[in-house]
Order: sequence, then C-alpha cells, then structure tokens
Amino acid sequence: MYIPEADFEYLIRTLSEARSRATELAVSIGSRLGTEHRLTQLASAAASNIENTLREVRSAAAEKPANSAAELAGLHGALQAGTQPVAPTPEVHVPSPPVTTLAAGTGLDPEHWLSAFVDELQAQARTSSGITFESAERLLQQRKDEFLRDFLTARRMYRAYPRLFPEIADETRQAIAP
Amino acid sequence: MNFDLRGFSELTRKASEMMSDTAEVPAVLRSRLGEQHELTRAADEMVASIETFVRELRAFDATAEPVVTDTYQDP
Repeated sequence: MYIPEADFEYLIRTLSEARSRATELAVSIGSRLGTEHRLTQLASAAASNIENTLREVRSAAAEKPANSAAELAGLHGALQAGTQPVAPTPEVHVPSPPVTTLAAGTGLDPEHWLSAFVDELQAQARTSSGITFESAERLLQQRKDEFLRDFLTARRMYRAYPRLFPEIADETRQAIAP
Repeated sequence: MNFDLRGFSELTRKASEMMSDTAEVPAVLRSRLGEQHELTRAADEMVASIETFVRELRAFDATAEPVVTDTYQDP
C-alpha cells in the first residue's frame, strides 16, 4: 500500500483545519446550550474522531520510508533550487542570554496562552534539532485544548457557584436588563 | 431551560463546510489503502460522526428559527 506525499499533505491539512473548526464549534455550542446538551456532545465526538484520524494519518506519514528514487530526486531538486525540502528540519539558532520572554517584550500577561506557546516553541528549538510546522501546530493544538478544558471548567464553576463571580453576574444582569 | 440561540445559522454553515471539506477523506484512503484498512475505517467513522452532528445541528437550527409566514394583505 502506498500513499503519495501529496495525499498525505492533503489529508493532514484537511484534518487539521477540520479539527480546529470542530473544536471551535464544540466550544460555541457548549457555551450556548451547555456541555450536557446532545449537540455539544455530538460536536465533541466529531472533534475527537477527527483528532483520532489525524493522529493515525500522521503516524502513517511518519512511518513512510523516504528512500524511493523519486523522493530523493525531489529532495535533490529542492536543494538545488534553494527551497526548503519537506523532511529535514531547518536549524533554528536562538540567541543566548539575555533571554527575554514574549510577555516581557510585548506587555502581555505572563499567563496569556501566546506567551506560553512561544516559550514552549523556543524551548523546543533549544532542546531539539529545530522547529517544524508540524511540531508548532501540535504545540498550538495543545494550547487550544488546554484553553478549552479551562474554559469548560470555569463555566461549570460559574454555573455551580455563581456567587463566587459577582462581576460576571453583574455584567450578565446589565446585559439582560432592557 | 433557556438557551442562547443567537448565531446558530452561522454555526450550522461552518459545520456544513467542515462536513463538505472532509467528505473526500475516506475515499482517498480507501483508494490507497483498501476497504479494510484501519485508517479507512477510522475515516469512515469520523465522517459518520460529523454527518450525525451536522444533521442534528441543522434540525435544531431549523426548529430554533422563528417561523415566518407570508401574510396576504389587501392592496
């Protein structure tokens, strides 16, 4: 059985986009109807199924031997043309100390997801051979999943203990008031 | 229980696009790996779950929409 590189690219791109969209839909529907609603659960199930398929496709792509003559010729051509080949990861040189974080440089809250994402990306560049689109995408997805989990937990807490969040309750009352 | 039904048409549109975008995935895998491959089966299961979700979302959206009836008015 053989899956061409172009098919892998199509599958990974399509499934990555679908996963992001399904996750957003699950959050949007959950925020409107509640996490226990059947539609929210169906959206979460769809997102989970997409995630599983994407993981298996990525696994199959990683196992794919890259030693066929055609692929080597393609890599050679890419190197000759000065473009980036598909498999090797470019080495990223991260400047040595003083290391400044994104949060410090931009005034973002240190707990903002973007700060954590960039820090993780830099750490990965230091500890491994470099950064690939796939590893960056995986890290970003982890951030999104973490955000979703925190969001759902916070919403459950608000619903169970609304008195602990007086500011939100005030805003809600003002929004509802005519 | 009161639900916030604003924007459900947009969510339904996005979900339909997602279903359309992923519809070809099982066919690609089937043509390369065969009917019985676990990856093909996983893709079939994925598409089935997306279709179920979109079908129910459409039904929900349709029932949530306010009913608009054409009323005849004398000129």
